[in-house]
Parts: sequence; structure tokens; C-alpha cells
Amino acid sequence: MNNILTVVNKEFSRFFKDKRLVLSTLILPGLLIFVLYTLLGSVFYDETTVYTVKVVHPSVFFSALFEPQEGETSQFSLQEEEEGEIEAVKEEIRAGTTDLLVVLPENFDALLAGGAFSPVGEAPNVEIWYNSASIDSSSAFGTVSAELDALEDFFSNRFDINISAGGDVSTAQEAEASYYAMLLPFLILTFLFSGCMGLAPESIAGEKERGTIATLLVTPIRRSELVIGKIASLSVLSALSAISSFIGTVLSFPKLAGGDIGSAISAYSAGEIVALLAIMLSAVLLIVSLISITSSYAKSVKEATSLAVPLMIVVMLIGLSTMMFTVSSSAHAVFLIPVYNCVQAMAEIFSLRFSWINLVITLASNFVYIVLLVWILTRMFKSERVIFNR
Amino acid sequence: MQEAEANPHAIIRAENVRKTFTLSRKQRMLEKSATGKKVALDGLSFTGYQGEIYGLLGPNGAGKTTMLRILSTLIRPDEGDAFVAGHSVLRESEQVRACIGFLTSELKLEDFFTPAYLFGFFGKLHGMSEEALHKRREELFSRFGIDAFAEVKVGDLSTGMKQKVSIAVSIIHDPSVIIFDEPTNGLDVLTAKVVTDFLEEMRAQGKSIILSTHIFSLVEKLCDRVGIIIDGRMAAEGTLAEVSCGRPLEDAFFDIYKRTVTGV
Ligand SMILES: Nc1ncnc2c1ncn2[C@@H]1O[C@H](COP(=O)(O)OP(=O)(O)O)[C@@H](O)[C@H]1O
Ligand SMILES: [Mg+2]
Repeated sequence: MNNILTVVNKEFSRFFKDKRLVLSTLILPGLLIFVLYTLLGSVFYDETTVYTVKVVHPSVFFSALFEPQEGETSQFSLQEEEEGEIEAVKEEIRAGTTDLLVVLPENFDALLAGGAFSPVGEAPNVEIWYNSASIDSSSAFGTVSAELDALEDFFSNRFDINISAGGDVSTAQEAEASYYAMLLPFLILTFLFSGCMGLAPESIAGEKERGTIATLLVTPIRRSELVIGKIASLSVLSALSAISSFIGTVLSFPKLAGGDIGSAISAYSAGEIVALLAIMLSAVLLIVSLISITSSYAKSVKEATSLAVPLMIVVMLIGLSTMMFTVSSSAHAVFLIPVYNCVQAMAEIFSLRFSWINLVITLASNFVYIVLLVWILTRMFKSERVIFNR
Repeated sequence: MQEAEANPHAIIRAENVRKTFTLSRKQRMLEKSATGKKVALDGLSFTGYQGEIYGLLGPNGAGKTTMLRILSTLIRPDEGDAFVAGHSVLRESEQVRACIGFLTSELKLEDFFTPAYLFGFFGKLHGMSEEALHKRREELFSRFGIDAFAEVKVGDLSTGMKQKVSIAVSIIHDPSVIIFDEPTNGLDVLTAKVVTDFLEEMRAQGKSIILSTHIFSLVEKLCDRVGIIIDGRMAAEGTLAEVSCGRPLEDAFFDIYKRTVTGV
């Protein structure tokens, strides 16, 4: 135990006393992401843009949605339009002179005030026409449909949006939740992986290459203690690096997507956040152990880094899997697959479908994998072919 | 002490040690080995005694480094066993490492750290108390003249100073056995002198030493006992006088070498 702490201590000294390493793994990733996302955001999301929205059958409730707050100017300029002009306005949207066309039901205000329930599909439909090839038009569509969704929620389904054209649309909160559910596991895995990529090859293959690991191996320390000390310290440092990237993302997100990760995260209960942290901890340990194994196998830092690349591609693809498909919460066996289980378990929490059984399966199976990987790494540290290969 | 001389106490013992390496494709081409196996040690046995310097003498590729790595538990023998201060390298590797200091040019210290930091780090791995560590540090740093460089990163030290720091770190726990692979290889004359002086000093303190070398003069200068190792086998073993039979060691060696290789 003491020896493990001594190794962890040394790894931390190695890291924190090296200004260049601290800069390149702790400061730069977060800073770069912040600058990059903010720049991208200023291209895609410009607060000074004013969107031209033409409305057929204007409504008080609808216009109220776009009233500017005190001291602000509205981003939406609403103009009334005749029913007969619809085709002409569509042309304008195509040409880019108008951003959006909203066709409300004739009696929209009365409908909202009236209060009769209508099943989905039968309620009056709101049509929104936009041009997906235009960034401004798409942004205007996103905001207007989200506002209408919220309004629909408030008045409990007295009208539908784009039902005839696009099918059912979830509530704004659900939509936001599922958006993060798709994106966050991918971001978290990528941040953890790149943090670890900057550290483990240097710490293991580098020590091997320079012959400093053999100096350690002739002290009475056990191989397992050395392995555990390395993995523990690399995990903490990789997590710190991922946190740096994550802070950069959180800070730049409002500028990039017009949303706020912070408020999305505050929607989760303390228990869910603890579960998330536990999943991330198991993910970081898994990833660090995997890269440590390839780094021990490699003869040099360069080889270790290039060996980790295929692993990185696999992990990132797995991270993207939530965007392609989600698994049913009852498919418990899926949560036995390492890394994939982290992604799916995180996605379940982010999309408000938390399942205790799947969490326990994920954490327990990852624990078994980590123990197995540590055992393999210990075996490798005992093998002369790994420690002295050249 | 006199008793020990009359009945010398075996402290390093190798018993029928065999070690075969599986060669990589590149190595196979270099070694021209058809089987893809290289027998590095072929049933090697020898004994080193308390308070003596034992020299493993042999040409390149004879298996000296392999034997010393086995003694320091960095690698395991395929067959046979070796004992250091009564501990088996196979079954009690941690105890073996606790009582040896292993030195070779292949074991390096991290360039990033200072001698003072590394001293603390390795001292803790050897389970030393702060107090013992402090005392030992004073002693060794002044003995090797490291004081002035205690806070300079190893990477910024001269080769000679690095070597001194390596020696100081490897004997931080005051080991009873010192294992030294090619002690003067690649060193300038001044540093080589520091090393040979150090080994003689250790022997004077009653430590047992085993070193490997291909340099005859080093054996003649330092060793009490010598084992000539050729192709992983012990070709001749005994005190320096017994092996050299009154001739220069070099002549005796080449006689033995010819006899072994031609099989006469
Ligand atoms: N890790 C290894 N893999 C393959 N062959 C090795 C390895 N280590 C040593 N050998 C081979 O074993 C033989 C003995 O090597 P070594 O003990 O280094 O000799 P010496 O130190 O006497 O020069 C050599 O032929 C060498 O190529
Ligand atoms: Mg050698």
C-alpha cells in the first residue's frame, strides 16, 4: 500500500512539476476547445442576426413568444402574410430573403383559450416552412419550433406542429435531454481517451524506452504495486485533463448551440450524478488500463501512441453508437460489453431513462474487466520480453 | 571474520540455471538460428562467497548479463534456481531484491528528477524511515561528492556525476550483495576509477560483490574469484590464481576458450 502511494506521489511530481506537461494536458485542451467552439459558435450562432418570419393567420399567443425582453431587441421580425401568398413566400425562403414561414390555424388564439383536448394527429396543425440549406433559416426553425413545443406543452396538446409533414415531436425538455444523451457520452469518452493518450505512452513506454522502469523493478516493490500505482495516478491525471476539456465545452456551449449544458445537468438528481461519476470512473480506469497495456507492449513512445490510435477509433465509434441507435433498457446483456456499457449507461441517465439493474451490471462487469487488465499488466511487467524487448 | 575466511560462507549461488530466449524474426536473422530459440544459459552453476568479489568473465553474448538479471530477479530462469543470501530468486524475489544493489548502464534514473528527490523516492520503496534516509543521504552524498548537485536535475548532470548518483541510489538501503554488470563500460578513466575504488571499498566493508566483464585487467585488479563463461556454460572457475595458473589471465582465457570451442 505504501509503495503504491510512493509511486502515485512520484507520478504526480513528475506531472505537476513539469510546466510544459501541465500546460499541454490540463490548460490547453480546455482552452482550445473553448476558443474553437466559441469561434465556431460565432459563425453559426450570431446574436445580432434578425430573422424574418412571415406568419399566416397571426395570433396574440404566438407573437407574445417573440416579444423582446426589457432592454433587448427581438431577434425575430414577424410579418403578417395572406393565405394566398404561401407559395410566393416559399420562393422567398428558397431565395433567402425570408427565413421562415409559419402557417397557424385560423382560430389559433380561440383554440388555445377554448381548451378542448384533441388526440395527436387530429388537432389543428401548425406548419413551419424553412430552408435546411440556409443556416439562418435552420436556426430560426429550431428556435420557433422549440418555442411552439413549449407552448404546446403549456396548453396540453391543443394543436400539433408539423404532424402532417414530420410526425410527432417530443417536448422541448425531452428533445434537449435526448440531444445531450447522444452527444455527452461521446464527448466524455473522447476527452478521457485523449487525456490518457497524452500521458500513458510517456509514463510506461517512455520509462521502458529510457530504461528507468528496470531501476524500479530491482527495488523490493511488487510488480502489482507498481502497476496499480501507475494506473491510479494516470487515471487521476486523465480525469483532470478530461475535466479541463469538459469545462471548455460547458463554457463555450451557449455560444455554440444556444443551449446550456449546465442547466441541462442541473436537471439530474444527486443520485443520478453519483451514478454518472461512478460510470465515468470505471470508464477512465478501463481506458487507462487498455492504453497502459498497449504502452507496455510497445518499444517506444512513438509506437505506443500509434498502437493506441486504432483503440481510439474503436472507442470513439462506440461513443457515437448512441447517435445511431439506443438499446432497450431491458437488454441487460448489452451492459456486459466494456466501454459500450459505459456509453449506454450514461445515455440512459442523460435521456432520463435511468435503470439500477443496468448501472449495477455496468459497474460490476467493468470492475471484473479492470481487475483482469491489471492482472495482465502485472504479468507483462514480470515478462522480460516486455521489459527488455528491443 | 577469521572463521569466515577459514570456512567461507556462500552468499551467491547459481544451480544449473538454464535460460532460453525465443527470438523475434529480426533477431533470428542476426543470430542465424533455425529454431528461433537461443540458449543463453545452459546449466550454469557457480558460487560467490561472503566478502569477496566474484567476476563473471566472458566474450559478448556469453550470457553474463542474462545471469546477473536472473540474480537480480528481473528475469526468471527456465530451469534451475539461484540463491542470494539464502533467498531463492524464484520463490522469494522480494527478499532477494531487498538485499541486493543492482547496477548496470541499462538501468537509468529519470532525467526529470533531482538526486535529492530520487534518493527519497527509492529510499521509501526500500521501506526506509525518514531518519534513516536522512542519515544515509548525508553519508553517500558526501562520499560521492553529490552534495553540490543534490538539487540539479539528473538530465543536466555530467556522465560521471550521473554514474555516481546511480551508485548512491543503488546502495541506498546498504545491501549486503552488490551486482554490477560491466562496471567500467563506456566510462571515462576518472569515472572508471571512482567505480573500481567504490567496489574495493565495499569489499573492505565486508560486502559480497558479483560483477561481469570482458576486460581481463579489471578481473586481475579486483576479483578474488573468477568464472569463465562461454556460450552459457561455465568453462573454468576458481580463485584468480587457480584459473590463471601463474600466467597472465588473458593467455589462460584464450587457452580455455580454444579448448571449449573446439571441444578438445
Ligand atoms: N531479451 C532477449 N531476447 C532474445 N535474446 C536475448 C535476450 N537477452 C539476451 N539474449 C541473447 O542471449 C545471449 C546472451 O546475452 P547476454 O546475457 O546479454 O550476453 P553478455 O552479457 O554476456 O554479452 C545473446 O546471444 C543474446 O543475443
Ligand atoms: Mg552484457
